[in-house]
Amino acid sequence: MSVSISLPMPARRGRIDLSRPIFIVLALVLGLLVILPLFWLAYYSILDQNGQFSLANFSALVTDPTLRRPFLTALGMALGVGALSCMTATPLAWLVARSDLPGRTAIRALVTASFVTPPFLGAIAWEILAAPNSGLINVAYRSLFGLEAYEYLVDIYTFTGLVFAIACYTFPYVFTLVVNALERVPSDLEDASSMLGGQLSTTLRRVTIPLVLPAILAGTMIAILQALTMFGSPAILALPAGFHVITTKIWSLFQYPPKPGLAAAAALPLLIVTVMLLWGQARILGRRGYTTLGGKNSDPRISKLGRWRWLAIAFVVAVLLLTVLLPYAALIKTALTRTVAEPLTWSSFTLHHVNFVFFEFSATKLALRNTFLLGFMTATIGTAIALVIAYLVTRRSVPGSQMLGYLATAPVAIPGIVLGVGLFLSYSNPNLMLYGTLWILLIAFLTIEMPAGYQQLSSAFKSVHPELEEASRILGGNRMTTLRLITAPLLRSNVIATWCFVFIGTIRELSATILLTTSETKLVSVIIYDLNESGDLGAISVLGIMLLVISFAVVIIANRLPVLGGQRLPIAR
Amino acid sequence: MSYLELTRLSKMYGAHPAVKDVNLSVAKGLLVCLLGPSGCGKTTTLRLIAGFVEPSEGEIRVGGRMVSSPERSEPPERRNMSMIFQSYALWPHMTVFENVAYGLRLRKMSREDIVRRVEAILDVAKLKALASRYPGELSGGQQQRVSLARALVVEPETLLLDEPLSNLDANLREEMRFEIRRLHDQYRYTTVYVTHDQSEAMTTADLIVVMNQGRIEQAGSPEDIYKRPRSEFVAHFIGGANVLKGDRLSGDVVDVGGVVLRCGSGDFAAQGPTSVAIRHHDINLVTSAPAPGETNWVPGTVTRQVYLGSHRDYLVTLSNGDAIRTVTPADIAVPQGQAVWLHLPPEHCRALAH
Repeated sequence: MSVSISLPMPARRGRIDLSRPIFIVLALVLGLLVILPLFWLAYYSILDQNGQFSLANFSALVTDPTLRRPFLTALGMALGVGALSCMTATPLAWLVARSDLPGRTAIRALVTASFVTPPFLGAIAWEILAAPNSGLINVAYRSLFGLEAYEYLVDIYTFTGLVFAIACYTFPYVFTLVVNALERVPSDLEDASSMLGGQLSTTLRRVTIPLVLPAILAGTMIAILQALTMFGSPAILALPAGFHVITTKIWSLFQYPPKPGLAAAAALPLLIVTVMLLWGQARILGRRGYTTLGGKNSDPRISKLGRWRWLAIAFVVAVLLLTVLLPYAALIKTALTRTVAEPLTWSSFTLHHVNFVFFEFSATKLALRNTFLLGFMTATIGTAIALVIAYLVTRRSVPGSQMLGYLATAPVAIPGIVLGVGLFLSYSNPNLMLYGTLWILLIAFLTIEMPAGYQQLSSAFKSVHPELEEASRILGGNRMTTLRLITAPLLRSNVIATWCFVFIGTIRELSATILLTTSETKLVSVIIYDLNESGDLGAISVLGIMLLVISFAVVIIANRLPVLGGQRLPIAR
Repeated sequence: MSYLELTRLSKMYGAHPAVKDVNLSVAKGLLVCLLGPSGCGKTTTLRLIAGFVEPSEGEIRVGGRMVSSPERSEPPERRNMSMIFQSYALWPHMTVFENVAYGLRLRKMSREDIVRRVEAILDVAKLKALASRYPGELSGGQQQRVSLARALVVEPETLLLDEPLSNLDANLREEMRFEIRRLHDQYRYTTVYVTHDQSEAMTTADLIVVMNQGRIEQAGSPEDIYKRPRSEFVAHFIGGANVLKGDRLSGDVVDVGGVVLRCGSGDFAAQGPTSVAIRHHDINLVTSAPAPGETNWVPGTVTRQVYLGSHRDYLVTLSNGDAIRTVTPADIAVPQGQAVWLHLPPEHCRALAH
């Protein structure tokens, strides 16, 4: 081979470095998304009806029992949900991660399925199952024992019923965290305990549980947080039962006559509690991140259940029946029969509800269009913004880029309903009237989904070794060429996963949507809520199943399609 | 005529200097090793040369052209250099062929030209059969060779290597060491090689630059560095030496804690502190007292003795408390606690001025 030093240098391209202008634009966009609504929230909360400065709104929170009680109820409910989630999810996680229980993969898949279920849909499914009069369980109970029509076994329209219905959809948070932690506890730490004479139960109590305790606590805190900020389920179950939680109370302050100042004041304590819970969770997980420390990577220890096997199976079946199988079955049955109480047979089978939803009910078409338009836009714009922020932050290409990361993560601490109030106050003044358009919903969804999108992509960037990019630079690729030819292809599957995640999160959102939607900007989730008010459970079931099918389809397509990066996932060194 | 020139080069991270006032000039076609313990600034120096890091002070010239200064730094892609990374940095989503062809593609060469050149270099690197494999399907040594081929196919003027062998096992490391030198001799680019392994540096380099705490301790040929260390750090770091602290008495005589040694070479301080360095294997250990009047003999006691197969390793404590390490042939076994005499031949004693 000839030795020549005459190869041409790489073609010179536009040398203008765009990172600084991009940085400034992003900082402005994030400021608009995050800081502006919070500013107006704080501003309105200290104004009285005449626009004068006053603390009347805050004193009303303490003195007015109709405002004070929802707070206490919500706290009690959230703690109940946390306890119930923790007590169900922890043993389930241990069985799935560490025992020889059959069908562990299937159990895991089913629990993940309840992750995808919108909580408000679960609440409606439990309405179908356990309403005192028409609930399927109660109907079955009465016919089984030949009881009178007023007798019932379970009533979902109670405080306990509400806690139960919410816990069905928050326990996967605890489950996922604990399963991961259990799998990461190196088995040699447990072997060490056995070598020193610890029995299975001793090792479990003295080594394994303490090691995963941070994960259990952190998961429980997320469950509490979810319950506290949830709007859909309480609105569906607590309002008929005649009590309010904080989110429904804030919503009711927007009903006629609207009291936005009071709503803003009521939203602030919720914001503070959320921030505190998240801070506590970060401290617990961060303090001794010891589930990942120490020991070598080795397969987790599997315990033999022996004679406890049947008890474990009964427990798992009960949990899955209550959280996934029964609700789904109830939705499918209701969608295909004319009335809720009718059993599903060949003669009662009808496509009436399907027909009604898709061809007769005028709102469906508009809502579907709006929902998918917003889902698509939010996922695309949100992923793009998150991608650029994650790049700037992880590669520290602009001084101060860390700040963008904090801004992008901040909305995690803003409950949907609080953001709804803030956005309503920001964009319903005559100068900037976005209320009543899809734009305000787009802004809301971008803000809500930004933390998750950013977190996913920034951990993806961290997994790409900087030397992979430097190798391209030194061989003649500039920053943009490198991003296009090296970084982007390596991140392709992460980007698609993030897109799907944001899309699914958007099409099921209700908490912020409920305050920002009008008759022109209805979404599927809002229609489901409206139909529930009018008691049309058949149509709800059809819409709900459709939402679920689309969500699952998106997940499966993203995981399977080879074009989208499903196969040959290269290990980024 | 120097080709690569670093002038008063410094890089600060906050208040901490990673590289401090480095001056170095390398002639075209030489293989220079930056050698030192971790954190000594050698990798930062390499990254400064590559253009991944911008200097806080000083400048870098390549072939007379200024490429780095605090005011203006050419981006890495415009320096016509290639680099081999510690992690190899092979792109996992490209085959071996695509990895190697990448630099040529960026240079807008014709398809046939790219194929011809890539095939030629794959041949040189003994990788022809693996062209369609992905990096994840290669062994460590094969990945290393792909990384070499990818760097060399663009015919760089300068090749930079960042601890290229640290992820390989011992046998392969030895083999790749000679491979790197062979390719360097074949193509005659200027090479800067960063390593913390002194034997790696000794076997490959034309010029060794020993760095410590961001500064250059000494630069010279391998023989120069080994035989004529100019500082305690270099004497310790290269080849292992005993360094005895002392004071110059007169001429070539140094007093190290009550023991008087004549030194055959080195730098003597005009006055005051002067250390004496002597390599472990240059010391003779005997059990009988020397004839009176002989110089450079020291009495001591064996405090540790280890059998190492090819030789024995001794730690001998002198009467003044200093400990000296030495080696003997494996069949000379002196038990621990026995009094011995050490001969430190003047021609191997090297004075180090402070």
